[in-house]
Amino acid sequence: MAPLGYIETLDGKGKVIGRQAIKSFPVSIGRAYTNQVIVDDPYVCPMHLTIAPDEQGRLAARDLDSVNGLRDGVGSERVAKLEIHSGTRFRIGRTVLRYLSIDHPLAPTAIDRREKTRFLASPYAAIAAGSMVPLVLCAESFLSSVERVTAINIISEPLPIIATMLGWAGLWALASRLIVNRFSFAAHLTIVSMAFLTTTFLGIVSEWSEFIFPAIPLLWMASLAVYGLVLAGLVYGHLGFASPLRRRGRLWAALAVSVALVGMNTISYFAAHSKFSNVMDYTGVLKPIDAGLVPTISVDQFIDASQKLKEELNRLVQKAKGAQP
Amino acid sequence: MFKTFFTDVIVVFLLALPVGRTVLAQSVRATTPEIFKQYSEHVLKIEVVETGSAAKASIGTGFVADNLGRIVTNYHVISKLVHSPERYRIEITDQTGQTGTASVLGVDVVYDLAVLRGERAGKGFLALESRTVEQGTRLYSLGHPHDLGLTIVEGTHNGLLKHTLYPKVHFTGSLNPGMSGGPTLTQAGKVVGINVATEGNQISFLMPAGRARALLEKTLNTAMPNAASFLADVGSQIQANQARYLAGMFGANTPRIALGPYDLPTRPADFFRCWADALRRKDLPYVSVNHDCSTDDYIFVSSEQSSGIVRFVHRLLSTEELNPLRFFTLYAGQFQAGNAASFGTEEEVTPFRCQTRNVRTASGKLKGVLCARQYLKLPGLYDAVFRAATIGARNAGLISTISLSGVSFENVQTISRRYMENIKWRR
Repeated sequence: MAPLGYIETLDGKGKVIGRQAIKSFPVSIGRAYTNQVIVDDPYVCPMHLTIAPDEQGRLAARDLDSVNGLRDGVGSERVAKLEIHSGTRFRIGRTVLRYLSIDHPLAPTAIDRREKTRFLASPYAAIAAGSMVPLVLCAESFLSSVERVTAINIISEPLPIIATMLGWAGLWALASRLIVNRFSFAAHLTIVSMAFLTTTFLGIVSEWSEFIFPAIPLLWMASLAVYGLVLAGLVYGHLGFASPLRRRGRLWAALAVSVALVGMNTISYFAAHSKFSNVMDYTGVLKPIDAGLVPTISVDQFIDASQKLKEELNRLVQKAKGAQP
Repeated sequence: MFKTFFTDVIVVFLLALPVGRTVLAQSVRATTPEIFKQYSEHVLKIEVVETGSAAKASIGTGFVADNLGRIVTNYHVISKLVHSPERYRIEITDQTGQTGTASVLGVDVVYDLAVLRGERAGKGFLALESRTVEQGTRLYSLGHPHDLGLTIVEGTHNGLLKHTLYPKVHFTGSLNPGMSGGPTLTQAGKVVGINVATEGNQISFLMPAGRARALLEKTLNTAMPNAASFLADVGSQIQANQARYLAGMFGANTPRIALGPYDLPTRPADFFRCWADALRRKDLPYVSVNHDCSTDDYIFVSSEQSSGIVRFVHRLLSTEELNPLRFFTLYAGQFQAGNAASFGTEEEVTPFRCQTRNVRTASGKLKGVLCARQYLKLPGLYDAVFRAATIGARNAGLISTISLSGVSFENVQTISRRYMENIKWRR
């Protein structure tokens, strides 16, 4: 005989931890082994509850004068009788139960997007991305040196960064092993390498744009936002391999981490800049490029623009006067 | 190599405020005791005292200069009082040890002079010399070096300095801190100049007596002025003076030098001194050539502010060894180096604000940065730095910087414009 429905035991987060098929009503629930549904909870009576159709044929749960009673949903008022539909939750003792009839509608099947990110887990990707990092670091180290350098100088400089990245991937792999029973070291290494390469690339783009368009005042804000996105991508990617979270959960977690870090950075930037200083703060980026390709303004326009500088300094004087008693 | 633009400018030390102790050893000629005996009664010790703590903030010397009992001293001796009249007062002490108070009647910030009113009327005075004094004339300077008591120093008149922004008497004799504002006399007891500054090793400077006479005349009919009005006066004197020394600077007749592929301005006026220097070391894969000009004179405004300093530096960087990306790491690094002023406090100046743009001049393209800050107590006066780096070349570049102190914003704009237009490429 096919079951009519199921009584499910739920944990604190609403996840099913036990399921008992119901083939006929009435159903008795309690701690005693004579019940159809046995609940291992010291706060549940041996004969706690029955579920049976009432006179109109509707299913209802009835408290059998238990010590701790029957409660509607989770933690609300004690009731003697509760109408039961498919999906109704109720609590006895400290156990949350749910009744589901066999025709209860199901959520649509989730699409497994991990298929699309499987390349991240491939060792070839890890080797490719991981070997790009030392190359890029060595190139950076060479191009930022203005004195004569030897190969050993150039190779040794990036080593601490490489060690840090390997350690980072290792920690995430360890977390993955503990949480989802998969090590996924290659995937974590690929993710952190890709985040590093993206950051480096963005750094180059932002330097060049600062050189070519020095007048755009909010460029640093844009770059901060982009770095925030890279950071969010990094956390999102790691969580994909290290946690059982669904997409939405990972997205929120990644955004939270990114917003927190970018926010803290911004606050400390403003804190540092709110102190009085004699430093002239300007971005003097210079790049080797044909002069014809650089958009310029005329000397007159430069001098006209400096009027804004004067106004800003006047505002600072007003502000300083306002601050004085 | 990465020096800031406000350091190394001030090589002349003013004579107020005791610093260290040096003992004066002077040969004494027969007439010197007589001069000392005869004129020392008109020389006064001037102390600026903080009202709250009764502590001395500054010590200098002054002398009675007319029969009204008016006292002449240096502006820099009493500048603290001008900037914060509510916090300081002046105490004067004469040779007999008698003390009294004095108040400021007028200041001439450009020539570093001040006239005070004390209770000295009718007790005699030191007359100002009106004739020209020959080079080599024996002079006697009186003052209170390091607060060691009134001292007489012998020296020689060595003419008016030629290459300075302001005419000053070159006095060969040891002036020391504390002697500021004291008189330097001829054997006849006439005041030739007022002690103002020293460069050490017997090289000292006097403000010519004529400037003191002008200030005495200007303040003759002044009623007791409001202490707060001096600051406004200081501001307007500086404003008026910059028009004089900045006019025509970097104009069409500016001498030029060639530096690598560039044709650049140098020594725009007689009161500039220029140096050149190159960094060529075998262990460095690049060469740096510097050409550095600055005024060797300045106007003392306060211990944290000065005006009238103009300094500019051309730095040519070139390489035959570094690739363009590496060379530009060096070039950009030097363009951003030395970007802090060495003085200025929150109470006196605003922070700097900067403007960065790529600019085309008639000759070529450059990255221009203009940074400026305004004086809080002297509104309308600014410190400014204009810095340019030429763009377009792959293995050479010029970084050129000019810094101005205590000038109006209009002058910042005028000088920046002329300077920018003066950076030329040799074709």
